[in-house]
Amino acid sequence: MTLTTTGAEAARGHYDAVIVGAGWAGSLIAKNLDARGWRVLVLEAGEGETQTWSGYLDSLETFHSAVAKVPNSAYRHNRAAPSPDVLDLSPKQLSAQDEREYIANGYFVQNGPLPYGSDYIRALGGAGMHWLGAVPRMHAEDFATHENFGYGRDWPIDASVLEPYYAEAEHQLGVSGDAAEQRDLGVVTDRDYVYPMHQIPPSHIDNHCREKVDGATITDPMGAERTLHVTGLPQARNSTPNPNHHHNTTHGYQPKGAVGLPNYGERCVGNASCVPICPVQAKSSPQRLQDDFSDRVTLATRSVATRVLRGHDDRVRAVEYRSYGDPASPVSEPHTVRTDIVVLAGHAIENARLLLFSELANSSGHVGRNLMDHPTTLAWALADSQVGPFRGPGHTSGWEEFRFGRERASRAPFRIEISNWGWQWSTGAPMSNVAAALGLGGDADGSVRDSGHLGPELRRLLGDSISRQLQLQIAIEQWADPQNRVTIDPSRYRDAMGNPRPIITYDLDDHVRDGVFAAYHVSERIFGELGATSYTHHAPINGAPRIGHFRRGDTDLTYSGAGHGAGTHIMGTDPGDSVVDSFQRTHDHPNLYAVGCGSMPSVGTSNPTLTMAALALRSAERIHRDLVELSQPAVVRPRPAEDAKEMV
Amino acid sequence: MTNTDEAVTHVDEVHAAGFHRPKTVTQLRRFLHAALEVEHLTIPVYMTGMYTIRPGTNRTAYYTIRSVLLEEMLHMTLVANLLNAVGGTPRVAHSRFVRSYPATLPMSDASLRPIHLRHFSPEALQTFLTIERPRSFHTNVSEGSGWTSIGQFYAAINEGLTELVREHGEDGVFTGDPARQVGPEDFYNSGGEVFPITGLDSAQTALEVISEQGEGAHDSIWDRDDQLFGEVRQLGHFFRFNEIHTGRHYGPNDAPSLPPSGPLLDVSWDDAYPIVGDSTVADYHRFQESSAVHAKAVEFNAAYATLLCCLERAFRGLPRALALAIPTMLTLRDLSEQLYRNPHPNPEFARDGYFASATFEITPHLVREAQKRVDQHIDEAGLETGEPVDLSGVTVGA
Repeated sequence: MTLTTTGAEAARGHYDAVIVGAGWAGSLIAKNLDARGWRVLVLEAGEGETQTWSGYLDSLETFHSAVAKVPNSAYRHNRAAPSPDVLDLSPKQLSAQDEREYIANGYFVQNGPLPYGSDYIRALGGAGMHWLGAVPRMHAEDFATHENFGYGRDWPIDASVLEPYYAEAEHQLGVSGDAAEQRDLGVVTDRDYVYPMHQIPPSHIDNHCREKVDGATITDPMGAERTLHVTGLPQARNSTPNPNHHHNTTHGYQPKGAVGLPNYGERCVGNASCVPICPVQAKSSPQRLQDDFSDRVTLATRSVATRVLRGHDDRVRAVEYRSYGDPASPVSEPHTVRTDIVVLAGHAIENARLLLFSELANSSGHVGRNLMDHPTTLAWALADSQVGPFRGPGHTSGWEEFRFGRERASRAPFRIEISNWGWQWSTGAPMSNVAAALGLGGDADGSVRDSGHLGPELRRLLGDSISRQLQLQIAIEQWADPQNRVTIDPSRYRDAMGNPRPIITYDLDDHVRDGVFAAYHVSERIFGELGATSYTHHAPINGAPRIGHFRRGDTDLTYSGAGHGAGTHIMGTDPGDSVVDSFQRTHDHPNLYAVGCGSMPSVGTSNPTLTMAALALRSAERIHRDLVELSQPAVVRPRPAEDAKEMV
Repeated sequence: MTNTDEAVTHVDEVHAAGFHRPKTVTQLRRFLHAALEVEHLTIPVYMTGMYTIRPGTNRTAYYTIRSVLLEEMLHMTLVANLLNAVGGTPRVAHSRFVRSYPATLPMSDASLRPIHLRHFSPEALQTFLTIERPRSFHTNVSEGSGWTSIGQFYAAINEGLTELVREHGEDGVFTGDPARQVGPEDFYNSGGEVFPITGLDSAQTALEVISEQGEGAHDSIWDRDDQLFGEVRQLGHFFRFNEIHTGRHYGPNDAPSLPPSGPLLDVSWDDAYPIVGDSTVADYHRFQESSAVHAKAVEFNAAYATLLCCLERAFRGLPRALALAIPTMLTLRDLSEQLYRNPHPNPEFARDGYFASATFEITPHLVREAQKRVDQHIDEAGLETGEPVDLSGVTVGA
C-alpha cells in the first residue's frame, strides 16, 4: 500500500537522498535505494489520488466525461502545479509570410518557428500514468549517429553497457513481448533472453497489414529500399506470464496487479483507452513500484520543488520546495530539506527549468538545450474491407525497417506504428464520424445543416466508415539540436505559485523535415500495397493550417508531438558541451543527478521510457556507491601504526 | 466427450450420506465434486448481487462482491486441481451443475432458509452472510449429526485426505496427471493464487486457502494471503460482506464475534435494480413479442453454458482454455447489464419497479451447443501450454 505524506511533514525528516519527481525514473531509483537500505524522500509536485482505488476511479470518470480524450484528460486542472496540454495549441490563419502558424496558450510559453506539440503530466506517476506503455529498446546504431551517419550526438556508452539494465527495466516495468522478433531486429542481442510475459496478441489490423504488405518492397524518396514485415511491439502491460523468464535466480514472473485495491488488476483485455488510462490497470505505471516502497521512502505529494540549493565547494546541500493544500489555489508554503544527494527526476523540461532557476550545472551552457521529441506524422486511409479498429492497445505492431541503415545520413529515420484506434488521432474519430453523420457542426458558412442521418442509415454509415479506418503514426527521430531549447524568464513568465514557466523555442531542421517527407511518401506507398484509399491531408483547409504544418518544397506536411521530450540536460564525457556524465551525474556538482529522458544524447526511433528506465537503474547503482562513500565514518585522528601492530 | 447430463449432484449425495469424513479415494473424489458444486453455487448469487448495483454507485460494495466472486473462482480451480491430483475427473459442464434457485444451501443446517437470487439489498447480503458463516459461529457437532458449515465440510475433506495418505502413502492417493494442474500462468488476479497440487502439503495449503478466505483464519477476521502468497491481507468473505451489510468497516483489531467498529462505509441500497429473483425464461417467453428480454436471457444462459464448458476443458487437461473464459465472462457482464437495466417484461412487475434478470437456467441443449462452440474456439485459438495466448482469431460469446 502506498503511503503519501504532506510536504510540511516531509520537511521534518532526514534523508540520504531527495528525489524530485515520482514518475518512472524517480520511482525506480527510490525503490532501488530503498532496497539497499537508504532513506529517501520523493517530492511529487502534483496530486497523488490515483494511488487509491477510489481516486483511480475518479480519474477514470474524469476521462469518461472529458470532451476531448487527450492524454491529460483523466486529470483535473491543477493551478499550483500546472501541466502542459496538447489542447494548449491552436492553429492560426496565416496573414503574413513570416508569422507563426500557431498560438500557444497554457503552461508553456512558445516562441519557436514551429510548435512543440507534446505534453506531460505533473501528478503521482508522471507521464507514466498517461503513457501508452510502448517499450522498444534502442538499436546499437542509435547510440552513435554522429559516428555512423554524421548527424547528432553520440552517447558516451553503447548498447552493450545498457543491455543488462534494459533487461532489469523490463522486469521492473513488467513487459510483454516476443524476444525472438526483437532479436531479428537487432535490438535484443542476448540469445537466451525471454520477456517477463508473452507478447500481447497482434490486432486484426496488424494481421490485415501482414497479409497484404509482408514481403512488399517500398522505396522512399531518398532511395532507401526496404522489404516490409509487420513486427510486434514490446509493451508494459500484463499478458500471460512466461515461465521461461529468468530474473536473477528466479524463474517465471508474477504479474503485479492494480494498486489501491487488493488482488485486482487484469490482463490486457483490449479496453482500448491505454492513453490516458487503463480501466483495469493492466497497463503498468510507476504506482506499482511505489506500492512496494518500504517506510524508508517518504513520498510527499503536492510538494513543488522550487530550487536546489548550493552548498560549499561544488556540492548541493538542500532542496527548497513549496507545499500546497488546495490544487485550485496557488497558496503554498516553503520548506527546505537538507540531504546528501539530490536527484532531479522530473520531466526533461521540468528538470531543465529547475536547473536554470537554481543556476546549477550549467557551466557548459547546455542546460535546456538540445530539446528533442519524436515529431510524429499521421497518415490515414480507408481499407478495402473491415479491419476492426478501436480494439486493443493503441498499437501492437509496426514496420521497423526504416529505423535503420545508412540512409539515415540523408534523412531522419522513422518508425511506423500501425494504429489500432482508427482515425482517432488524425480526425478525432469515432466522434467526428458520428458528428459528421448527424450533420452536426454547421456547414462552411456556419449555417445549420439539414442533412443528418438517423436510425439504420446512421448505423450503416458509421459501420462503413469507422470499421475500415487505418492510421499510421510515424515517429521521426529528432537529433540534439542546441537551438531547440527551454529557457526561463522569471521576471515575465511565472505560474500561479510564482515558479518560472518553461519558454520553448522549437523547430525541425532539414534532416528531420526530410524524414517527415520520406515518411509521408512511404505511408502513401504502403496504403497502395494495402489497396486502401488514402485520406491523408496535410495542406491547410480554407486557409487554416493544421497544427504542426510546414512545407517542404511543394509538399505540405504536418507533425504532432509524441510526448517524448528529451535532451535538456544532455549526457556526454566533455563537461564543456554536456551537462551530465554517463551516470547522469552533473559534471559541475558531484552530488547532484539529473535523470530521465533529458540526459539522452539521441532518442533513436524508439519510445524513450524503457531507455530512461535502464539509465535510471544504472544511476541508482552509482548513487548507492556515492552514499556508501559518504557514509564512511570520518577518521578524526589516525591510529598510530604501532598500535595497529599490537592489535594483530 | 462423456455424457454431459446424467442426473448426478454430488452435493446432494454427500449431504444425504450424513456427516462423516471420506474413507476411500472414491469417496474423497465424490466429496471434491461436491466441493466444486458448493463453490459454484455462490457464483450466480454473488453475480446477481453485483451486477444489479447501478453503475457508478456503491463502489466499495461492488468491488467487495467482485473480490469474493473472484476468490470463489479461485476456490473452484483449486478444488479442480485437487480432484485432478487424486485421479478424479472434474465435471462442471452439465445442466445439473447449476442448481435452480432458490436453492438449499448444502452442507448446512436444514433449518436455514433457501438461497435466492436477489438484487443488491440487505436481504441479499443476509444471504451472502449465511453462505459464508464461519464454523466458529456454530456450536460444535459430532460426526453423524449433520453439517453446519462449509468450513466444516472442508475440514472433513482435510481429515479424510490426511488419513488416506497415512493409509496408502502420497503415491497411492495423488495418482493424477500433473499436466492437468492449472498453474498461475493461466489464472491470476484474485486474492491468492492458483498453484499446482502435487501432494499432501500443497493439497492442505489449498484447503486452508479455501477455508480461510471464506471465514477468516484462526478465529480472526483476516485471511492469510499475506503469509501464503506475499499479497495484501484481506478480510474473510463473511467479514467483507458484513461490512457492507452493517455499512461500517472493521477496525484492525475487531473480533469476529463483534460487529465492525471502524469508519462508516457508504452504502445506498436504493441504487440497485430491483429484480424478481426467481423469474424464468418461460416467464419471459410469454412477453417475447413486446420485449427483447427473453432473447437476452436465453443468450445469457447460453454464454453461461459456454463458461462452464471452458472451465471443464481447462480442468480436463487444457489449462489454457481458461483464457477463453475471460471474454466469455465479459460477455456475461455485458448481457447481465442489459438485462438488469431493462424493465421486467411482465407489465405488472414493471409497474412495481422490477427489472429483468438473468435466470441461470442451464439446459442440456444449451450445454451441448456450448460444447460445440468451445471445441471450435479451441481449434481456432490453439491454446497450447507454454505458448502465448492469442484469441484474435476467435469471436467468443454466446
